[in-house]
Amino acid sequence: MMTRLRVLIVFLMCFTSSFFGQKTLLVNGFLHVGNGNVMPTAAIGIVDGKIVSVKNAMTTKYDEADWDTIINIDGQHVYPGFVAPNSTLGLTEIDAVRATRDYQDVGEFNPHVRTQIAFNAESNVIETVLTNGVLFSQATPRGGTISGTSSVMFLAGWNWEDATILMDDGIHVNWPSATSGGGWWAEPAPKSINKDYANQKNNIEDFFQMALAYSVSKEVTFDQRLEAMKDCFKGKKRVFFHAGEMQQLLDIIEFCEKYTINFPVIIGGHDAYLLGARLKDSRIPIMLERVHRLPELEDEPVDLPYKLPFLLNQQGILFCLQNQGDMEAMNARNLPFQAGTAMAYGLSEEEAIMSISLATCKILGIDDKYGSIEVGKSATLFVSQGNALDMRTNKVTLIMRDGKLIAITNFQEDLYNKYKKKYEKE
Amino acid sequence: MTRLFILFSFFLIAKNSFSQLMPSNGVADSKVIYYALHHVNVYVSSSEFVENATVLIKGDKIEKIGKLIILPQGCVEIDMEGQTILPAFIELYTNIALPKPANASEGYRPQMESNNKGAYYWNESVHPEVEAANLFKIDTKANENLINMGFGFAVTHVQDGIVRGSGALISLGNENVHKQLLSSHAGNFYSFSKGISSQSYPSSQMGSIALLRQSLYDLNYYQSNSLSKEESISMDRWSLHLHGPSFFKVTEKWEILRANKIAKEFDLDFIYIASGNEYANIDYLKKINPRLIVPLNFPLAYNVQDPYLARQIPLSDLKHWELAPYNPKYLMENGLTVALTSDGIALSSTFWKNVRKQIEIGVSEKQLLESLTEIPAKMIGQDARIGSLQNGKLASFSVFDGNPFTSDAALLEAWHLGERLVLKTTQKNIILGDYSLILNGKTYQLTVTGTKENPSGKIFYTQEKIEKKKTIVDTISSAVTFTINQGDVSMAFSFSNEPSKNGYQLHGKIKREGIIIEGDVLLPDGNWGSWAAIRKQKNKEKSVDDKKDESLIATTPKSWSPNLAFGRTKEIADQPLVFKNITLWTNEAEGVINNASLVCFAGKIILISKGEVIIPPNAIIIDGKGMHLTTGIIDEHSHIAISRGVNEGGQTVSAEVSIADVVNPDDINIYRQLAGGVTAAQLLHGSANTIGGQSALVKLKWGFSPDEMLIPNAPKFIKCALGENVKQANWGDFNTVRFPQTRMGVEQVFYDGFKRAQVYKKDWDAYLLSRKAEYTIAPRKDLELEVLCEILSGERKITCHSYVQSEINMLMKVADSMGFTVNTFTHILEGYKVADKMKEHGVGASTFSDWWAYKFEVNEAIPYNASLMHQQGLVVAINSDDAEMGRRLNQEAAKSVKYGGMSEIDAWKMVTLNPAKLLHLDDRMGSMRVGKDADLVMWSDNPLSINAIVQMTVVDGKVLFSLEEDKLLQTRDKLERARLTSAMLRDNKTNQETQQFKPKRNKNFHCNTIGEEESESENTH
Repeated sequence: MMTRLRVLIVFLMCFTSSFFGQKTLLVNGFLHVGNGNVMPTAAIGIVDGKIVSVKNAMTTKYDEADWDTIINIDGQHVYPGFVAPNSTLGLTEIDAVRATRDYQDVGEFNPHVRTQIAFNAESNVIETVLTNGVLFSQATPRGGTISGTSSVMFLAGWNWEDATILMDDGIHVNWPSATSGGGWWAEPAPKSINKDYANQKNNIEDFFQMALAYSVSKEVTFDQRLEAMKDCFKGKKRVFFHAGEMQQLLDIIEFCEKYTINFPVIIGGHDAYLLGARLKDSRIPIMLERVHRLPELEDEPVDLPYKLPFLLNQQGILFCLQNQGDMEAMNARNLPFQAGTAMAYGLSEEEAIMSISLATCKILGIDDKYGSIEVGKSATLFVSQGNALDMRTNKVTLIMRDGKLIAITNFQEDLYNKYKKKYEKE
Repeated sequence: MTRLFILFSFFLIAKNSFSQLMPSNGVADSKVIYYALHHVNVYVSSSEFVENATVLIKGDKIEKIGKLIILPQGCVEIDMEGQTILPAFIELYTNIALPKPANASEGYRPQMESNNKGAYYWNESVHPEVEAANLFKIDTKANENLINMGFGFAVTHVQDGIVRGSGALISLGNENVHKQLLSSHAGNFYSFSKGISSQSYPSSQMGSIALLRQSLYDLNYYQSNSLSKEESISMDRWSLHLHGPSFFKVTEKWEILRANKIAKEFDLDFIYIASGNEYANIDYLKKINPRLIVPLNFPLAYNVQDPYLARQIPLSDLKHWELAPYNPKYLMENGLTVALTSDGIALSSTFWKNVRKQIEIGVSEKQLLESLTEIPAKMIGQDARIGSLQNGKLASFSVFDGNPFTSDAALLEAWHLGERLVLKTTQKNIILGDYSLILNGKTYQLTVTGTKENPSGKIFYTQEKIEKKKTIVDTISSAVTFTINQGDVSMAFSFSNEPSKNGYQLHGKIKREGIIIEGDVLLPDGNWGSWAAIRKQKNKEKSVDDKKDESLIATTPKSWSPNLAFGRTKEIADQPLVFKNITLWTNEAEGVINNASLVCFAGKIILISKGEVIIPPNAIIIDGKGMHLTTGIIDEHSHIAISRGVNEGGQTVSAEVSIADVVNPDDINIYRQLAGGVTAAQLLHGSANTIGGQSALVKLKWGFSPDEMLIPNAPKFIKCALGENVKQANWGDFNTVRFPQTRMGVEQVFYDGFKRAQVYKKDWDAYLLSRKAEYTIAPRKDLELEVLCEILSGERKITCHSYVQSEINMLMKVADSMGFTVNTFTHILEGYKVADKMKEHGVGASTFSDWWAYKFEVNEAIPYNASLMHQQGLVVAINSDDAEMGRRLNQEAAKSVKYGGMSEIDAWKMVTLNPAKLLHLDDRMGSMRVGKDADLVMWSDNPLSINAIVQMTVVDGKVLFSLEEDKLLQTRDKLERARLTSAMLRDNKTNQETQQFKPKRNKNFHCNTIGEEESESENTH
């Protein structure tokens, strides 16, 4: 049976297996491919969850009989699923309640600690993020020198297995700061040069050396920590370095050369714009510090955080946006608007979209399947009534994972409707 | 040369000294009565200098100073040729010779009561009963330090607490306490710093201010109510000394203005111990004309070698480094009364270097001397005894081997109350020069250079030899090491060409002031010989000249307003502003008007037109083609621009504190908010306690003073709070002591407070009615209850931090039963559940657009909240509570278009007109109407669009931010930074001492920030 649907009707068919073998056509959407290109009226063909054709709906004829479902999205915007990398989303529910926090364990070097199994697929927070078009997150641990191993997750699922997009995608290294001290907030002391910096760097080097030796040796006894490092040297796991200051960034570039780390990534990098060619030559991509933040230093231009994406783009550095910081889990739903701000301050609209879709997927190593709406990739995308990067027009009307439709409501909307009805009755 | 030394042991020295009452062990000490110091240059006072004079001292006083003095018989005479005498300096800010106060803190739990057991004031940081005189013990080592700088007197006090107690005037020296304690009560000392007190209250500067005011009221009550009072040791002692000189120690220039308000309120005359950055505040200081004690301690240069680190030093710190030495000068130039203090300086060499720096930059010797002697003497009312060397004053002075203001002169002697203390003997025999030295019959040439105390030199001789039929003259030389001690000198050297490398060791006596030196020598072969040297030519002493690159050092460095990056350099003229061809968001019935014009002048909107307007003369014309003009954003809930603490968390009711007391105009976030289109804000107390503190309603006037930021005749507001922060739910396991710990307790705190206020008002009303009957005594004035009375009468309005529906409902019921209306619920994240009840009560709402999930009480917070409340007819505003979000409130307002489908015009009002309504400022702000304040923002786009960028922000008709100017300021700051860094690099080379850099971090106050410093911890709002 062929069905014709106009989306706007809440479309609930989530988590059903009946879609396998389904042929779906999304027509008349304004397509943002994710790679910088657009197609104002697109016809996107989806078979078995994969995109099989992306054509101009105005110039291409299609036979309705070829499709099980044709969804006319009528000028609305189609985007690849946005990605919130480096996030505790799904690992915390209520920040102030310790019992709900599952992102930081005890220990300095914890590469073996994995977020994947702590990811709460039924979290109330993740559904409020999903419904703004952010469909993926990189569930990332915190704390210590090596916090642990992250996994890339889809923001809906029956369980963590179901939600997993890429298991154990990389380890997270918190690079020491070249400055130290500063006291604590009630008794601030002058901050000074971190005299222990060299030592702390050596500790990381020692650990990597040991791990490298372990990875090729056949005679050592089993070590849980080092076992978790093995894949970093085989290029299967990425190494994410969390750092921002110039000194740190240069040291990381050096470190990566020394240990021939295949897929290093810098997370943060607020000073990256000052390094220019050295960073570009190193081919280390950046997951840029939150756009919506205050300048690091009192003297910095007031709009520097807004402009950093543009400045990195101008220098040809591969980067994407991320949102670590205060209330990062709930705030992940505002990632599209951070990209929007980056657009207002210099990026083109499509570049801004790329910085939360294809660029992120490239950096995470999932761009073979996700990040753009191109033939051969997974049909994991969403539709918004208007520009998804603008608060006024980001209204998600359809979400698809591998061609299957996902619920587009959340409990907050339910509460809204509940109380709206209460007042309407009165 | 030497005269007979005559001992006078039979005379009693006429002196009121209790030391005379003390029996002596052994025979009594003998005392000289008269000393005469000859041929000395004397600064009798800052305005009288006598060269080559004789100083006659009798006992502990100056008898006479002059060129021709008839000496009494039996007088010890000392020749001080070429030496200079300065009156002893007076240090007013020190804790010398006193023990360090210790604190008796117990554990981590909040300490609600004073550890100072006994009949003292209830708060540990108010201790007027601490009297330095009781604690005074001579501290030889600390004495030495001040003496070496030239000080002879000090007012010392225990540098701790808010009401610190009284200071004692002491003479330095090591004689005895009886003689050296000159006055037991030389002044009272105050500050805003709590000190070592471990009591919870106060935990903020506004708390300190309130506490000081309350304790002064308590003192008045105590004094005027002698019959029925409770005895208090603190109040007794304070009453005794209150009317002596009062000193107020500040840590920041704005604190002077804060303390001055208290001085006015209680008719006190504070002398301020300044912080060192008053140069940036002179215009405002001039208006109150305070007396100041200004530090001569200046910041060291930063180590700026590494550019990665140097870039983290804020420009404000670089500028302060350059400006700080000019602080005394600028204050003096502006006619303020300035005394100087050595506070913070560890070395006498640093002290004198800084004094000479003052001369270098143009302060006169007279001014300097005056501010170290006569002015401090007058400040403590002791100028009849000390401060100069006029006849009859105390004989306390310092003797230098030259003029210390102009040369690197050494301190030779310090006299205290007529007692001589020799610190250094001068090297009278100077052997600098070229000598012929005859040693064992052979003649050598000796050249002595260096300084008279530390000579160095070279010895050489020539030797002829014939090689290849030519005569060759070889010069053989050796370095010579010297040790010189008055008339004796020893030297050592060895010649490399001699077979024995043992060298020569010489000892000689210096004769005829260095013309001849002769003595014995131990020769390389171990035998003794003799030697003599005769001077052929005198050499000058080597002086250290530190040349500076003048081009890098500003001759008269200027501070900016405020003195940090993006600070203003000049006044903004009051010119008419004309916007034309622009889209106006009027927030009035006209709605949005395209292609319109708006004119403002003298801070007000004077014309709005749908087309062209006549341009007034001298106007700034802005062509707004494609641009949007709105009224400024008003942030109903902000914690920026606040000094030292946003929460007075020490007590759960702290209505007596006020943010208006601690507005800080030097916060970079003011500029950042302007760049986001914010023009006004309610600076709120935090949410750490049930009844928090009074608000400050301000305009974000970058470069103005705290008082200029405060909105004139603004309605009065106070912050209250409910829920998790008030009950300290997320403060860890130690904070389970303070009441309330549950929502049940919160209700009771309100009732208790308001009921107490009702009783208080009744008492006062009764008193005021019966005032004519003379026997009636005024009730105690209670600052906290007075504010609660204002709430009850409706004069002061409540903005209440709130989350869940139960507590929202509760406070409305409390208010109903007490007969007042809650004005605003802020945060109000479950307001959507009780919007109908809120409507009925008549309260407005100021909420976050979409925050939630940060603590349990926001578990059902929804982004549709604003829309739902709006739909129920409530006045709804969107606020920030956060310096970062505050600068893009336009985006936050726009979220209600998404969540709940609000119209754009209504959404826009939520950050402009509606907050103005909630603050009762909508008669002058929030919409475009002729006569309203010219607080305007020009946007590149529809202000709710993600693409909107602020082009220009106008506050009270003045352009305080524009993108164009911002670019210029960035360039200016970059150049200024480069200039100052180069100057510091130069300083790094010449000075060994530098300071480590100290980057400013993004520390910002939130609702729940406790303590005086900004939080970097997790924000739980």
